Amino acid sequence: MKRLAGAALGILTAIGGFVDIGDLVTNAVVGSRFGMSLAWVVVLGVVGICLFASMAGRVTAVSGRATFEIVRERLGPRAGGANLVASFAVTLLTLTAEIGGIALALHLASSVEPRLWIPVAGLAVWLVLWRAKFTIMENVAGLMGLLLVGFAVALFLLGPDWGELMRQAVPPSPPGTEHPATYWYYAVALFGAAMTPYEVFFFSSGGVEEKWTARDLTTNRINVLIGFPLGGTLSLAIAACAAVVFLPMGIEVSSLSQVVLPVAQAGGVLLLAVVILGIVAATFGAALETALSTGYSLAQYLGWSWGKFRRPARAARFHLTMIVAVLVGVGILMTSVDPIMVTEMSVVFSAVALPLTYVPILVVANDPEYMGDRVNGRFLNALGSVYLVIVVAAAAAAIPLMIATGAGS
Amino acid sequence: MSDALSGARSATRTALLTVRLLDEGRVTGPVADTSLLDQLRALDDAERALTTLVPPDAASSEDRTTGLDAVGPATDAVVAAREWVAARAGGDLDGAPGLPPSDAALVADLEAATAQLDDALAEAGGP
Repeated sequence: MKRLAGAALGILTAIGGFVDIGDLVTNAVVGSRFGMSLAWVVVLGVVGICLFASMAGRVTAVSGRATFEIVRERLGPRAGGANLVASFAVTLLTLTAEIGGIALALHLASSVEPRLWIPVAGLAVWLVLWRAKFTIMENVAGLMGLLLVGFAVALFLLGPDWGELMRQAVPPSPPGTEHPATYWYYAVALFGAAMTPYEVFFFSSGGVEEKWTARDLTTNRINVLIGFPLGGTLSLAIAACAAVVFLPMGIEVSSLSQVVLPVAQAGGVLLLAVVILGIVAATFGAALETALSTGYSLAQYLGWSWGKFRRPARAARFHLTMIVAVLVGVGILMTSVDPIMVTEMSVVFSAVALPLTYVPILVVANDPEYMGDRVNGRFLNALGSVYLVIVVAAAAAAIPLMIATGAGS
Repeated sequence: MSDALSGARSATRTALLTVRLLDEGRVTGPVADTSLLDQLRALDDAERALTTLVPPDAASSEDRTTGLDAVGPATDAVVAAREWVAARAGGDLDGAPGLPPSDAALVADLEAATAQLDDALAEAGGP
């Protein structure tokens, strides 16, 4: 039971990766326009993130150090720097979107303009980063985010034709009303969101925060095998709700307020309230995760003292980085930029940055100097190599598809 | 043109779904208000796309005029729906000219607006 409770890190990481503000809307958009025909991308993303997060967690458990520190040391400042710049930029964009997501969720609950909520959301994120302990933060945000299971409950209450949903999913093909390029644009966006770089950096740094050792390899596996498949399942439930309610009505989702309407239709006000609370918690958790990831990646690259397990005065530059990142995010949002557009951009750019993140992890997980006899086996390396090919293809296709389809419009 | 009309039709159908859910007590006032506000933005985007379009021929110009004629009533119906939501939430809107006379009249207006958008979309060659 204690080990299962220890899966909070995996759950929080997965909620950031699979059901943050961008994913909530993107999954519903995909469900309303393509039915379940892109479900295979979520499955592909879950397997990929499980593979690389487990490698990153194993590196942390065996070496006692976060992945980014070792990447910088093993590959040198230039390769590490390229990795840092790409992942930091994507993470900052995502943090901006998440703070906007908190504001949009609170707007949904209160009707008060999102611009009034944005500074409140930024302040709340900073206060938690400053004052709350890592374990409390991950347990509360991760477990509250589980309220999004309301989407799965709503799907069952809607009483869908399961055979029809399966027919949409297998064999996967774009509906006749949509252009194949748009289909592939959303496939790349969903894949980029599932494997977004900050997930592995947050996960491995979280392992250091929790003081993992080689004896915690089972905890690492439990986190990976519970957290990420759970995130993927929630992601599919959101898409399925949209496919059941919106696809037959010809409604295309473009806002967060539409995402919750199937839940209201299925479960009424009570289930709606549960899901809105879950959305606030999930976006808040994702904002904490991305803000911490900005601090982790920069501090680990530059060799600064870092970690929530240290008092802020002992990791001043780490905390300063997070404060600046939150302020930049709030500043961008106060210009009235659409948070959903920001997050859609961030998942596409995250697809572009994927090779810079995952190639170094595969290299480090095979280095006996750090891993001793815990290096990757042949099967993991073969699967990792297959995923690197997919990751490179997604990275190469992301920008051309975005331009060709007008960002999926 | 069909993208803009398709977006407008989607917004009107969402507004109709929102009104029905609120009428059945399945959605809260703030969620309904936010949803309708988002649909007004979508209708605004559709109208802007249509008004800024330079039609390449006379047929397209006619389709654009038909489309604009359909988006206008749809916007009016969604604006009225927001007033209806505000009135249900206790707003002092008795006798307000934009307030629909009854729940059924509001639903009928939204259904008529959706049908008009369907026709305009079919004329423009959309799905």
